[in-house]
Amino acid sequence: MSLTFSLAHLMGGIVLLCGFLLLSQRRLAAMITLYQIQACVLAAAAFWQGWAQHELNLYLTGIITLALKGLLLPYGLRQIVLRFNLRRAVESGMGMALSLILGVGLIGIAVLVVLPSTMRAVSLTREDLAIALSVVLLGLLVMVSRRSALAQIIGFLSTENGLVLAAIGMPGMPFVAEFSVALLVLLAFLVVGVFLLRIREHFDTLDVTGIEAIERRGR
Amino acid sequence: MHLQPDALSWLFLGILLPQVVASAVAGMRGSVTFWVFGLGMALALLAGDAFTLIFGFELMSAASWLLVLRGDERPATFYVTMAIFSGACLIPAVFLPASSVAFVLILLGTGAKAGLAPLHAWLPKAHPAPPAGVSALMSGGMVKVALYVLIRYAFIILAPAAQPWWGVVLIAAGLASVLIGALRAMLEVELKTVLACSTVEHVGLIAVGLGVALRAKAMGDETLEGLGLQAALLCIVAHALFKPLLFLGAGEVKHAVGTTSLNWLGGLVRGMPRLGGLMLLGAACMAALPLGAGFAPEFLLLHAIIGAAATGGILARLFFTAALAILGLGAALALGAAVRLFGMGFLGRPRSLQAAAADDIRGAPLMAMGLLAVLILPVALLPGLVLGTMTPVLLLLAPQAALPPLAYAPLSLAVLALLLAAALGFVLQRWGVRGTREVAGWNGGFGAPPPWLPFGDPATQPSATGLAEPVARAIGRGVLARDMADPTEAWLVAPLLQLYRRLVRLAERIRRATIRERLAFVFGALVVFLLALGLGEGG
Repeated sequence: MSLTFSLAHLMGGIVLLCGFLLLSQRRLAAMITLYQIQACVLAAAAFWQGWAQHELNLYLTGIITLALKGLLLPYGLRQIVLRFNLRRAVESGMGMALSLILGVGLIGIAVLVVLPSTMRAVSLTREDLAIALSVVLLGLLVMVSRRSALAQIIGFLSTENGLVLAAIGMPGMPFVAEFSVALLVLLAFLVVGVFLLRIREHFDTLDVTGIEAIERRGR
Repeated sequence: MHLQPDALSWLFLGILLPQVVASAVAGMRGSVTFWVFGLGMALALLAGDAFTLIFGFELMSAASWLLVLRGDERPATFYVTMAIFSGACLIPAVFLPASSVAFVLILLGTGAKAGLAPLHAWLPKAHPAPPAGVSALMSGGMVKVALYVLIRYAFIILAPAAQPWWGVVLIAAGLASVLIGALRAMLEVELKTVLACSTVEHVGLIAVGLGVALRAKAMGDETLEGLGLQAALLCIVAHALFKPLLFLGAGEVKHAVGTTSLNWLGGLVRGMPRLGGLMLLGAACMAALPLGAGFAPEFLLLHAIIGAAATGGILARLFFTAALAILGLGAALALGAAVRLFGMGFLGRPRSLQAAAADDIRGAPLMAMGLLAVLILPVALLPGLVLGTMTPVLLLLAPQAALPPLAYAPLSLAVLALLLAAALGFVLQRWGVRGTREVAGWNGGFGAPPPWLPFGDPATQPSATGLAEPVARAIGRGVLARDMADPTEAWLVAPLLQLYRRLVRLAERIRRATIRERLAFVFGALVVFLLALGLGEGG
């Protein structure tokens, strides 16, 4: 039983570490790789939880995660990078040091919120929940602090990974919820991909600063 | 919604009725908004519960806003801002338990509506804007409804928690109103603005009376409380009669001459003797001259202040002595304002052709003003009788008060003066010099008009501005702002306006936020919420 806990925590920790490293990466290609690693570790965590909880649904979740987020989405993202010639693109948003400090603060808040308010719950889910909330908050911070639309999408996907991490750690979570979340993310990815093409057509860049300037002028 | 009138309600309804009738007769009877305005006031006065009171009060505010909007847009906006502020103070206050917080909110709410300093800056702008009938009802009626709410809450509903400092605050606000109102009435040039400033002054007098009574009530001095209430209520009755009279007269001046600027009037009493006589009566009441309706309340008020100066410690004595001085200054300025109003507007030589050719009033306006003038006479000549009819109200507000009879009997004074005048006339007739004699007079410094200018050059007469100039130099520049504007405009209205502009700019900045900034807002809100949750749970 203790192996179950420690391995689940280890994988959760790796997911969190990937989310944290996303903050510190300036290059889009590296961010995609980190996202892929995060998704693969998440899939492994799902398999492990499925084995530990004897739950077939979780294996299915793991397969979906691996196929969709571990392979398909990174492939799509890389295609976008190739097509828009962003291999060497450097993101210029918030300063790295500042965003890392904010990230540490967010993890602190997540721990501060989850650990006291779930005092009566099982210890396994408590730490898992804290890690999952940290991943969600870090993904949101990526969305807020980056200027490139692609980096914002990666932040959004990472947020969703945090949700799945919370779901698989929780015994008795219905499979339909995870499945619908995954489908939703895929649809959002498709919509945003089309949207990116349009932005690129109009402004020749994925930097949303141009749109913001137009927005200001338009009003 | 339920109505439960008592003696206080009936008193205020009684003083509201003649004004509504006079305003309706004078030309407002066709306006639906006017009747809604009147209905709102009646509802607020008759209300038996807090909801009905607030409903009537806000109905009155909304209707009067529409009526002011007919006259001018800028004062209407200022006015409705103050009305909303007043509502925002009153609505929580009427549902609070009896406490000092409730009293302060009531005072702010009713003070903003009644034009009590420092929340009076809107009144000299908004009251002159609408047609004369509405101005009359706003000055004579609406202000009184606000004072009614103040009296009902301060003396009846919040009475168990009464503190002496409530009265002191009320007195201080009233003294500031008296000083600023009387000074501005002396300096303003527009006839209706002069009248509105005089309203501020009279609201101040009423507030001083109420403040003395409230302080005495909290200190357990029922006799002084009765005296203060007598002064305040008599002042309310008198003001509710002569101010509509003056406003209706100002409307008729506007109708006949086309302007109400004192600098362009003059000599109206020759062309309009009836209006002149009625306005002279109103001005005498406004100046608190003996034998006028304004004298008895001021007499009682000074008595009350002198009585209050004998209670409390050294600070209270100094305060009431200073109050006496300010009231004296206010009375002198009010007298000056009334003299200037009548002297500039109705005496002397016409300053414009329209003023020279003005026709006297007749028909409905004359009836309306005549009604008010007839009602003023008993208040002016028999104030003791009027106070006697108010005894149930006084006993309702101060149950144990010993009400001293009024030591001022103007009717016998008037009869004596009349006898004296008749005797003097008889002596002059019998032994006086017969015939007329031409003498070279000083004539105010100017000679007979040249033949090509039958009315004289208006510029050779002293103007209203010129007459006020010595007062402006002596005290105006010290009390008011540099350009004779209201001091609260610089100290209160301008900073509030600046704050409002800043808030608007901030709101505009938020409205123009980019997608990323909006995301950041939501994210920040989430983080703050989580932090609060975590700290709350941890604590």
